Amino acid sequence: MIKQNKVYILFGLALLLSVVLMSCAQPPVVEGPEQDEIEIAEQVTISFWHTMSEPEMVQLDKVVAIFEADHPNIKVETLNVPYDEFRRKLITSMAGGTAPDLIRSDIIWVSEFAYMGALAKLDQLMPDFESYKEAVFPGPLSTTFYNGHYYGLPLNTNTRVLVYNKQMFADAGIDAPPATMEEFLSVCEKIKTLGDDKYCFADGGTYAWAVNPWIWSFGGDITDEDITVASGYLNGSKTKVAYEFLKDIVDKGYMHPGILGGGVDAWGGFGNNEIAMLFEGPWFTPFFSGTLDVDYGYALTPAGPGGSISVVGGEDIVMFEQSQHKNEAAEFIRFMLSEETQITMAEGGLIPVIKSAIDTDFIANHEYFGYFLEQLETAKARTPHPNWIKMEDIYNLAGAEYLIGEKSFEEAFDAAAEEIDALLILPE
Amino acid sequence: MKINQKKQQALVAYLFILPGLLLYIIFLIYPILKALQISFYEWNIMLGSQNIFVGMANYERALSDPIVGVALKNTTLYTIVTVPGQMVIALFIALLLNKITKGKIFFRTIYYIPVVTSWVVVSLLFRYLFQSPKGIINFIIVNVLGVVQKPIPWLQEASTAFFPILSLGIWKGIGWTMVIFLAALETISPDLYEVAEIDGANGWQKLTGITLPLIRPTLVFTSVMLMIGGFNVFISVFLITQGGPLQRTEVILSYMYRQAFNYLDFGYGAALSFILTIIIAVLSFLQIRFLRKPEEIV
Repeated sequence: MIKQNKVYILFGLALLLSVVLMSCAQPPVVEGPEQDEIEIAEQVTISFWHTMSEPEMVQLDKVVAIFEADHPNIKVETLNVPYDEFRRKLITSMAGGTAPDLIRSDIIWVSEFAYMGALAKLDQLMPDFESYKEAVFPGPLSTTFYNGHYYGLPLNTNTRVLVYNKQMFADAGIDAPPATMEEFLSVCEKIKTLGDDKYCFADGGTYAWAVNPWIWSFGGDITDEDITVASGYLNGSKTKVAYEFLKDIVDKGYMHPGILGGGVDAWGGFGNNEIAMLFEGPWFTPFFSGTLDVDYGYALTPAGPGGSISVVGGEDIVMFEQSQHKNEAAEFIRFMLSEETQITMAEGGLIPVIKSAIDTDFIANHEYFGYFLEQLETAKARTPHPNWIKMEDIYNLAGAEYLIGEKSFEEAFDAAAEEIDALLILPE
Repeated sequence: MKINQKKQQALVAYLFILPGLLLYIIFLIYPILKALQISFYEWNIMLGSQNIFVGMANYERALSDPIVGVALKNTTLYTIVTVPGQMVIALFIALLLNKITKGKIFFRTIYYIPVVTSWVVVSLLFRYLFQSPKGIINFIIVNVLGVVQKPIPWLQEASTAFFPILSLGIWKGIGWTMVIFLAALETISPDLYEVAEIDGANGWQKLTGITLPLIRPTLVFTSVMLMIGGFNVFISVFLITQGGPLQRTEVILSYMYRQAFNYLDFGYGAALSFILTIIIAVLSFLQIRFLRKPEEIV
């Protein structure tokens, strides 16, 4: 009996020990060489998190292999995180002190992370920052600037251009993609004659990525240029015309109702000849290469009174202040911004951000980058502000309230602009 | 010697409890207390940054936040509809299964399958089922049954967007409730029914006179558990409607999640979750207090 008890005690102790050990376990740390060894370069691992698509990751694996061959002492661990989860995963990791060394961040998050104090100031950290600053396009570079410092470098850029379903256009007797808003309406009118379940255009909701091209093309805006006030801009007369245009095409059934809620399988609808036009980024063609059985073409977004103004997207490479290997991480940044790497990544559909890469034959002769590069000349960036996420939610909601018909434009947007005005002022 | 052995046995027992207890303290008690602390602060997520004590401000803000009102209403609606919905249907199925002898395990398994499926998978599935204009539900009601002329814009209108969430909640919970009911039904002695039959009782009388009173503790137990689950509705809302359209399908937890993880307002998020905790605690207490007979309360 007593003997049996002893077994139990031992077993219990073993269990206890394992729990204690588990809670004490540290993430594996790569140890440096022993003090008395010859001074060889310390073996370090840097982590790089991103949200790349399948074709982009194929290219990333290639460039990482090249980098590791050139830098035998640095190992790069890449992690692909779904876009919707990325920001939350980063926030949890920052709070827990387990943030990666580097990330490829959506351009709209950089000012928020910088404001939180999470990012390293690259302009202080990299002695040669100035040369990189000169090498990249100023537009994408501006998304890394916050409160007097550069917190990153652009990695790739993009925007939305019009893609149109040539089959549906032919069926409806339309011979060219619409260049203006008037032409857009007449195209939609003809598309609608194809059937009640055929839609001229579709988008997933009233968030900034979807509505900003319309707002800007009609000459409206979200805030003033200095990002100090939204009243008079978000609820201004030009923005109003843009939303009236959207409401008109929703009410007439030109726009797929998914924009009002529930979203839309835009790519599926486009592939099944149910949706005639979309605004798409440069990932569209690589993603569908070989799978989309539909003939389509690219064009600039239709021009309104404000011109053909699309929305700038893209990613910046930023380093976390928590990083233990800042020098090695900076080395990887330099590598990612080299012309060679930029071209290799471009083969996966990513538009380069360094000026010299744009002049190469690969980019100049590219089958569809030309549309994006032309669109980028006038495209605008979403408001770079630490409170951006909240701001976007506010006018996303106002847009839905107006398009659904719940509120008048003034009711919805006067209140939204006032709320955003308050968010633009940051506490000291 | 005897005392020694007793002590030793107690020690063994404690050692066995200890690992679980440690995990419980580390992963449950500590986070709960930490969240309580956070709810009184304007909390900054970054390591080593300043957190400002704001007292009850986060709770006061919740009381005057109109979306909290909407979320509370929706959470309550979800509970009021899905708890009786699950219980009535589950009881019906359990009564049927209790009668049959052949294929009982087969049917029990079939009805239990939704319970073990992932919330994420079935939420996305329901979102596709209720797509408009071309989801399967719309196809069935318009083209097959012809009960409505035009497809219903389920997820685009505030009045209908909650329906997929409610139906998912009921469908997914029936199996669990049914299994509990079935176990309770099997404890009722068949003699009671025989006696009732001799006395000329019909089916309804047997149900209300014998079955329901005898499984009453089980009914109370499931209603409390389902109520707690109902108030904690989150994944289905988050994945099917994201609280939209127009934040009309927001529930407490989806709104809490938005505040904490989208806006990084962890103080407010923590306060919202504690408000929910208080509501659940009070309701559970009332349910147990008033639905159980005094002798059943331990």
